[in-house]
Amino acid sequence: MNLKNDLSDTELLRSMLAGDDEALTLLYRRRQAGVYRFALQMSGSKSIAEDVTQEVFLFLMREGNVFDPARGSVSAFLFGVARNYVLRRLRVEQLLAPLNDESDDDTPLLQTGTDLCPLEDLTRAETIESVRKAVLSLPAKYREVVVLCELQDVSYGETAEILGCAIGTVRSRLHRARALLLNKLRPVGEFEEASSATVKSARCFA
Amino acid sequence: MNCQKFESVVSELARGQMMAAELRGEALAHVDACEDCAMRLRDEAMLTRGLHSLAAEMESLEAPPNIEGNLLTAFRARQAVSAVPAARRSHVAYWVAAVAAMLLIAISVFVFRWTNRPVDDPRQANRQEEPQGTPQVVESPAPQFANNSPVPDDDVLPAYPKPRRNRPFNPRRIPNTQVANHVSNEIATDFIPLSYMSTAGLQDGGQIVRVQLPRSALANFGFPVNMDRYNEKVKADVLFGVDGTARAIRFVQ
Repeated sequence: MNLKNDLSDTELLRSMLAGDDEALTLLYRRRQAGVYRFALQMSGSKSIAEDVTQEVFLFLMREGNVFDPARGSVSAFLFGVARNYVLRRLRVEQLLAPLNDESDDDTPLLQTGTDLCPLEDLTRAETIESVRKAVLSLPAKYREVVVLCELQDVSYGETAEILGCAIGTVRSRLHRARALLLNKLRPVGEFEEASSATVKSARCFA
Repeated sequence: MNCQKFESVVSELARGQMMAAELRGEALAHVDACEDCAMRLRDEAMLTRGLHSLAAEMESLEAPPNIEGNLLTAFRARQAVSAVPAARRSHVAYWVAAVAAMLLIAISVFVFRWTNRPVDDPRQANRQEEPQGTPQVVESPAPQFANNSPVPDDDVLPAYPKPRRNRPFNPRRIPNTQVANHVSNEIATDFIPLSYMSTAGLQDGGQIVRVQLPRSALANFGFPVNMDRYNEKVKADVLFGVDGTARAIRFVQ
């Protein structure tokens, strides 16, 4: 086991496909947390995250030979598979039971002080919860770039591989997603003010 | 730098991404000059901190341990399932190869015995035992015959530079030209049926006898005779039937 710890993900995957269950264990322990967190941050549901994690590694057992090292890392491959499973699962969940807390999207999640930034007025736990809800309320194409680039700390290039798009698309989606998040985290009163401020700032050529 | 350009880099600035030092300096200088952009940067920075806090909060989360157990169980079951057909496949391949080898041996033995089998057919045996150069009585094929049209004297018969290929006999097509004999140096007329024989009788074949006749005999068959060589003899082939009757004659030069 110790010797195999030094093996790369690709080598572990190859060994696993050759029937080495020890390689599967190592690869799973190395990558399961990222996949699980990605699925949890994307779906907000522990049960979905658990199912997706299991499905991802079952897929790796069945179809692991489709992985091409020239196209990206094993980690990116796993994120890509996880993304497909999460989106599929969310579509099913959406069809079966529409979200009840849709109205929560419009409520302010952050309280702002008079002079300070709104995030500073909240306790840390509240802040985290607010941000989590704001992320979950994003459309999927913006949510996935936030989860990957901001929460999973995946590079732009690798995110582009996972999503199958250009790096420029990742950048622009992330920029747009952050703007949406800020709008969601502001109180309603300040939302319009901030919007006008944005317009004003856009016209400011100082 | 203006606000529009600042807006394009504010996210990168707040996230602490790598950017050109000059661009970063310009952006920070703009923040000092523009209150709105300074607020915008503060918001972005707060958002970044909030996202980092969320990421840190979830850093310790992992999949439940039972998933690993489930996966290992599934993996081993899968290996066991895939291993059994592999073993079966190897046995099947072994038996297929064995049967193919046995068939090959059996076919080889059969072919060997077939080629070396004793000959049951006596005619075939005779044929096999006959030496190639043994002289035989030639059963002449159905001879070709000419019509009664007069043929020029043998002296004026044109010498064929090339022997013509003998075509199969066709009684309806009676050539009026002489054909070369199979003997390369001789030129012969077609067989002329003798007056008391019908042409149908020539198809039965028979035996050919070479004879010599006085040149005047040519006249009996309608050929012109060179009177200067009147006393000389000419060669002729007489075709006798199986009953010993002369049936046709041809003149040879």
